[in-house]
Amino acid sequence: MPVTLVDRLPLPNLKVYTAGSVLLLSVAVYYALSVTSDPNWRANATLQRQGAMGAEGEGEVLGMVQPLAEPTLAAANATRNISDQFVEVMTFMMQEPLCMWTVINIAYCALALFGVLVQRAVFGRLRVAEAQRLKDKLWNFVFYKFIFVFGVINVQYMDEVLLWCTWFTAVGFLHLLGQLCKDRFEYLSSSPNTGKWAHLRLLVLLGGIHCACAGLFAAAAHWGLPAGRDTFAFMFAECLLVFVSALHVVARYGLQAHDADAAGPIAYYTHLVFDSVALVVELVHVIHMVVYSNMLVSMASLVLLMQLRHLLHELQARLRRHRLYTALQHHMQTNYPMASKEEVEKNQDNCAICWEPMKEARKLPCSHLFHNSCLCQWVQQDASCPTCRRALAASGGSAALAAPLAPAPALRLPPGLEPPTVPHPNHLFHFDGSRYVSWLPSFSVEVTRVRMEPPAASQIDAMVRQVQAMFPQYPAGVLAAELAATRSPALTVDNILEGRLPPPPTPPPTEQPPPTPPPQAEVIESTSTSEPPPAAPPAATPPDDADALNAQEHIPQAGPVCGRFSGSAAAREASLARRKEQLVAAARARYRARRPASPAAPAPSTPHDS
Amino acid sequence: MAGSALRRLMAEYKQLTLNPPEGIIAGPIDEENFFEWEALITGPEGTCFEGGVFPAKLSFPPDYPLSPPKMRFLCEMFHPNIYADGRVCISILHAPGDDPMGYESSAERWSPVQSVEKILLSVVSMLAEPNDESGANVDAAKMWREDREQFNMIADRIVRKTLGL
Repeated sequence: MPVTLVDRLPLPNLKVYTAGSVLLLSVAVYYALSVTSDPNWRANATLQRQGAMGAEGEGEVLGMVQPLAEPTLAAANATRNISDQFVEVMTFMMQEPLCMWTVINIAYCALALFGVLVQRAVFGRLRVAEAQRLKDKLWNFVFYKFIFVFGVINVQYMDEVLLWCTWFTAVGFLHLLGQLCKDRFEYLSSSPNTGKWAHLRLLVLLGGIHCACAGLFAAAAHWGLPAGRDTFAFMFAECLLVFVSALHVVARYGLQAHDADAAGPIAYYTHLVFDSVALVVELVHVIHMVVYSNMLVSMASLVLLMQLRHLLHELQARLRRHRLYTALQHHMQTNYPMASKEEVEKNQDNCAICWEPMKEARKLPCSHLFHNSCLCQWVQQDASCPTCRRALAASGGSAALAAPLAPAPALRLPPGLEPPTVPHPNHLFHFDGSRYVSWLPSFSVEVTRVRMEPPAASQIDAMVRQVQAMFPQYPAGVLAAELAATRSPALTVDNILEGRLPPPPTPPPTEQPPPTPPPQAEVIESTSTSEPPPAAPPAATPPDDADALNAQEHIPQAGPVCGRFSGSAAAREASLARRKEQLVAAARARYRARRPASPAAPAPSTPHDS
Repeated sequence: MAGSALRRLMAEYKQLTLNPPEGIIAGPIDEENFFEWEALITGPEGTCFEGGVFPAKLSFPPDYPLSPPKMRFLCEMFHPNIYADGRVCISILHAPGDDPMGYESSAERWSPVQSVEKILLSVVSMLAEPNDESGANVDAAKMWREDREQFNMIADRIVRKTLGL
């Protein structure tokens, strides 16, 4: 949209811009000086001003420029001191369009300089992501406010445009600063070693934003109220949005300082309140605009309606998430009791999700313990025990208790995971042909999904021994993996006899049919005669458990390079780099030792580059 | 959110530093950003990748232990389960919800009890035993099945390249 277009504009850098603006201003001032010192002009101006004073009653719009003109009455005196002259020059410049533009330009320049100053003082160098985000926000803001000023308010006079511009410049400036604070806060909290100062500076800036917001409120009340309730409401909503978003960042700081855990109810409801307040305010704001502009078929209202739709959607999603959250909380509370003190003490282990010690824990039916909040977050993604993968709702018992989880699948849960509590729905299709035509057959199709629990380790062991008695050359690991997939010694034996299971590794399997044919097809086919189809296809990736690995890697070649875990970041980084170098150097040495002739070797392999 | 992820990453970093698995080193590239790690993985003994030291980048999401990190090899790789751009395709790195290939059971996928160490060990075992059914790199899978000689040769060239020899 507007962003891409503006990106291509060659914007001058700040130095050039400042220099140009100052130059323009000085030229304008010089011009104003030379004109105002001309006696003819002075006489003329005084006359004009008196005329304007008389007409002031009707022009409300001009009211804001007027205060500047009033003191110049004194300038009617022939004696001119410096302040009078200044006022005169100013008046002249406000009246002369070209001069006025340079003044506006210098105001923006000053604002830009101020912004850069704040940025240097608080943020230091902006990160690329922050800068990009800022740019996007800026042009979005400009775009929407343009729509607002010309599409909604439908301004007629230049002065009005200027006033709104001033207003939105102030609001936009604060808005962008707030956004920057938010981004920076997120960044700072994702790094373990940021000084207190960085946070302090950010907080001071946030305080500044709040003060400025208060100023904006005052401005809205002072200038907006006389211009009508609608105008005031528009201005008020803008301020409120900036205020709420800045306050949200402060609240996050508060939560962090309080060490409230990220999924605890306090933190959750704080975020919920802020998110929904911001969304509702913006929604009302946009609805107000649509109602106010009162023209349903124009570009502006189209844009507004699009925005409205987006906001509604966001709000809906937020509320849906909230419903899911409360349902989950309820479900967990009723189904999975908190572990008793003794259980927690006996457990000793840390929470497997966050690796932090547990003072209190929630216990799953499979008797694994987790922090309440950690578990809650995980269950939102996947309804299974993180440790043993047992489907959670399955042991919850009655279907009624599992019901609160029902909205979950729509959002996150993969379809296969959630229903197991409910006695499996048999997809039944019944066609009763005789109801239509007497000779049509009747038939029904019934599909049963059975979810099989993976066999316990002891069962597998027993089966492995059974098979190994027949085929001693197969290592237990391979057989166990195969049995975990087939669940039946008989099937495994079949697979071995038919060569589907790769023979033990000693001879490298080069020319044989694919080591394991598509397991799904094969297993289903072979079980179709017997009872239930297996729920899970066998391991598709190489067995990724550490055991198999350890078995294979247990021949140590050199003492592991243990590092000390230093307290300071720099020391840690240095030691990490050193260890990396050592690892590479050791590998290089080993490689050389093994294949001293390697420099000669590269030639044949190069042509095979693909 | 980020706070707990950070603490967990710190704990993992500490564990990996004090008690590193054989031939594996991992840690944040720059501690300013704890969510980007670099790992060095030594090719498993007795395989065609033996002796190589392969650098990889791990990018952690802000809700880390809940969602899996992404892993990408930084060096050239030729392996059935590694995309041409270095992305690693193993089930442990797939969130329980998504199933790009459509055949993994959720039991093998990501869960918060997994860790960087387990991921890296899985990758080592993946290097040792490619799974030629999930074809992240179809050419490599085909060559692995049909022309093991040439595959080994390419692997050896990559190994030498990672060692700077």
